[in-house]
Amino acid sequence: MIEFRGVNKWFGALHVLKDITLSVEPREVVVVCGPSGSGKSTLIRCINGLETIKDGDLVVDGQRLGDRATNMTELRTEIGFVFQAFNLYPHKTALENVTLAPIHVRKIPRGEAEASGREMLAKVGLGDKFNAYPSELSGGQQQRVAIARCLCMRPKIMLFDEPTSALDPEMISEVLDVMVGVAEEGMTMMVVTHEMGFARKVAQRVVFMDAGAVVETGTPDEFFSDPKTDRSRAFLSKILRH
Amino acid sequence: MIWFQLQSLMGSYPLALRGLGMTIALSGISLVLGTILGFALGVLRTSGSRLLDSAIGLWVDLIRGTPFLVQIFLIFFILPELGVELDAFTAGIIALTNLAACFICEIVAAGIRSVPTGQVEAALASGLSQWQRMRQVVLPQAMRVSLPPLVGQYVLLIKDSSVVSAIGLTDLTRVGWLVVQRVPNGLLVFAIVGIGYFVVCYPLILLARRLERRMSAAHGEVQL
Repeated sequence: MIEFRGVNKWFGALHVLKDITLSVEPREVVVVCGPSGSGKSTLIRCINGLETIKDGDLVVDGQRLGDRATNMTELRTEIGFVFQAFNLYPHKTALENVTLAPIHVRKIPRGEAEASGREMLAKVGLGDKFNAYPSELSGGQQQRVAIARCLCMRPKIMLFDEPTSALDPEMISEVLDVMVGVAEEGMTMMVVTHEMGFARKVAQRVVFMDAGAVVETGTPDEFFSDPKTDRSRAFLSKILRH
Repeated sequence: MIWFQLQSLMGSYPLALRGLGMTIALSGISLVLGTILGFALGVLRTSGSRLLDSAIGLWVDLIRGTPFLVQIFLIFFILPELGVELDAFTAGIIALTNLAACFICEIVAAGIRSVPTGQVEAALASGLSQWQRMRQVVLPQAMRVSLPPLVGQYVLLIKDSSVVSAIGLTDLTRVGWLVVQRVPNGLLVFAIVGIGYFVVCYPLILLARRLERRMSAAHGEVQL
């Protein structure tokens, strides 16, 4: 579903992605972790073209990014992206946020889009917040609207860029619960997170990145109980200490 | 004496109305055209093309850095030399529209730049086209920042339209000049001319203030 082959990327002189080779199968849930600045956000932002790659191949849903034949706008409709800072449209209600793309991109009739939008908001536990503006919602609620906004497009892939890092601790679990639900329905997911509980529960694989390179991959059990490299051991000892 | 002058002024009211009409027509037409052009330029300026951005930027600086009177003279007297025949009204509209467009371009561009990149990324990620991103996500939020200065700019435009009297258009200011030749009381005549402008501008000033107050209440978008 997603395949990186020898992908490199630079920000100026900074080599942010170093020879990444990695593939994600359909219905697979992959958690990406690593210290900050290790390139994990950049990695998943490349998948929907928010960042461009310098060399190597990146094939998403059978289409090679950067090819003339690849319509990026069309490909993006198949990829949901959840941001750390939610990025809900502040001038639109929760329902308008989740129906905007279905109406304008998928060309679904408004009534139909609103019906499935309500259904999706109810599914993420916001059945009473259809007409609330983002500023009237808590961080956890906003992030759940953001997830619903992606799901309303019926994407093939969902990408999460540190979805719980901007949240107060008591709101993290409500967002993770929704993400677990999405994973259990068989969505192909790539999740940048340090939530190891989530990784253990639903991920098939954990990818550990450091300094722009994939250092280690393994099942959650392997990775957490028996990390292979010094760097991953050092990283785990820091995040699991508390 | 003053009673006699007032009576004589009353006799000039058809001329005054014509002048007011001309001022409103000039500023009204160039306000609409200038807004459309200014929005287009503002959107182009932020579209990511460096060439377009600097070309528009240069033009805007040129217009902002020269007196409006000089611009009018250039359009009215120089263009015919190059074979473009213009009547005074068209020349006035062109000059005012251009001026308005340049200022509005800057206001709109500043508004667009104030929208967080995360908003554009979210729109991009959900597959909205460039026009849809602008129309649905960026512009409504940019307007929140742009609307009060935009309305303020309209007030300036109406006042700047007085300069077109220099090329012989009978607007409110020129009516003042004409009348003062018959009624030699400049204070009285131009006080009335001033009131004429104020009557047109004041509602806009109030509107700008109202919009500014509404900003804080709105959820990122302005409802008029």
